[in-house]
Amino acid sequence: MNNLPDLPTKFDVIVIGAGPSGSAAAYLLAKKGFKVLLIERGRGLGDKNLYGGRVYAPPIREVWPELDKEAPIQRWVTKERISMVQGEKVITFEYKAEKKISFVSYLTQLSQWMSKKAEDAGALFVTEVTIDEIVMKDGKAVGVRSGPDFIEADVVIDAEGVNRLLLERLGIVERLKPDNIALGVKEVLKTGASNIESSFNVGPNEGVAWVIMGDVTKGIPGGGFIYTNKDSISMGLVLHLKHSMNFIENGKFDEHVSKLVEEFRFHPYFRPYWKDAIISEYGAHLTIEGATHFMPSKFAYPGLLIVGDAAGLLLSTGYTFRGVDYAVYSGKLAAEAVEYARNNGGFTYENLETYDKNIRRSFMYNELFKHRGAELLMNNPVMMAKYPSILMRVMEKMFEGEYTQETIYNALMQALKEEKVGPFDLISQAFGMVKSL
Amino acid sequence: MSSAQNVEKKEEKPMKLEDILQSDIWNVDEDPHIIVDYNKCKNCPNKPCVYLCPAGCYVLSDNGIVFSYEGCVECGTCRVICPMEAITWNYPKSGKGIFYRFT
Repeated sequence: MNNLPDLPTKFDVIVIGAGPSGSAAAYLLAKKGFKVLLIERGRGLGDKNLYGGRVYAPPIREVWPELDKEAPIQRWVTKERISMVQGEKVITFEYKAEKKISFVSYLTQLSQWMSKKAEDAGALFVTEVTIDEIVMKDGKAVGVRSGPDFIEADVVIDAEGVNRLLLERLGIVERLKPDNIALGVKEVLKTGASNIESSFNVGPNEGVAWVIMGDVTKGIPGGGFIYTNKDSISMGLVLHLKHSMNFIENGKFDEHVSKLVEEFRFHPYFRPYWKDAIISEYGAHLTIEGATHFMPSKFAYPGLLIVGDAAGLLLSTGYTFRGVDYAVYSGKLAAEAVEYARNNGGFTYENLETYDKNIRRSFMYNELFKHRGAELLMNNPVMMAKYPSILMRVMEKMFEGEYTQETIYNALMQALKEEKVGPFDLISQAFGMVKSL
Repeated sequence: MSSAQNVEKKEEKPMKLEDILQSDIWNVDEDPHIIVDYNKCKNCPNKPCVYLCPAGCYVLSDNGIVFSYEGCVECGTCRVICPMEAITWNYPKSGKGIFYRFT
């Protein structure tokens, strides 16, 4: 880990950002013998990274088959929970899965592991260097600038993350808009491994991924999340920013966002899981809602490939969120395109463009378009409020009758009437909903 | 200026954000990485930054918005939500800023 001035001034590839996408690209390229510079503005300990908590393993195993054995995995997700909350009323679904395809991890530790892999494979890894600019010459990226220092490269890979200031400065993407962005606020609560295992009823390496909808966000589209680490719990809220602004404007959001997180933490249904825990960390990060609107118009430009969050490659369906595996996989595709270019006559735009084509052919792109209706739905406040309300009323009528109780059919019909939804609307909307999820 | 806090608090009663933030660690830059044009804030009707900046860096006083960058967690929210485009936002200089460990 050096600082900038002592470096050689020319590389085959410069990768900006040592998160999952940048580290994967740098690792694969270094392994193929490219002269790679991996640049990170943090201290190289993953210290600028934050996410909800869960990573899907299969796409990452394509880059690092040793993932399961070596990576800093906290717990494998064996239970999926979804809850709907209205006041103190809660409906929870739990699914006990058979396969272990995703795990909970501290992204700080996981990125550190990945960037170490890149460094061990021969990439030059510099930390504490903030890039100010991707330098263009005759319409082609030729290197990067940090303060007064310029470093040249045949290819620049932008893995700078969701805020993508460098791409904005190049004019490749517009200024970030709140319409496609959500804010995640997270607390890490240390409770001890045995507490977690007994309260969630999981084994020593097993854990829970839990999505919470309803009142926890005061009706703002978004939701709550809970993930079990080894001896701590990650919990917090995700709030769609455009809707948050609308709620503020209408006077319906009049306290600080951290208070919403605290109210969620104090909710009587959830609190027992972490009561009297130690707050180990508090943080926040932006995430992408509606990736198809967030993507740059191309993933490859002359001399420049865009990977990870900066490329809008993050799937959010409302009940699953996949960013880290998409990031790693895009880094892999970028590395393959650079190798293809070298083997086919040089780093021309025509050759690098294979990255753009391969992204569009990938499972990720397909998934993002397949689920693109989900964000419209999940981000529709009426929809988000109406259905949980109907379900809550049904449950209440079924289970909270002091002397008499309704049949399920009557409970549903009354609930629909009270919420002013016709049975046919329910059927047709529910069908549309199921289709896009 | 440097500030390493890492004072861990027990979750038991409602807490001020400042106290929760004490669990975090920063290496604070001498120069701010965010510049706010207060002239534009004066005409801002709703001031969403006051509610949405998760680190509480934007506080409403009698004289309008008061901004402090020291406790910034570098999420970028303020730049995205500012209706007046009053915020110039940069990545903090080399190695400065928030230092997450468990996120």
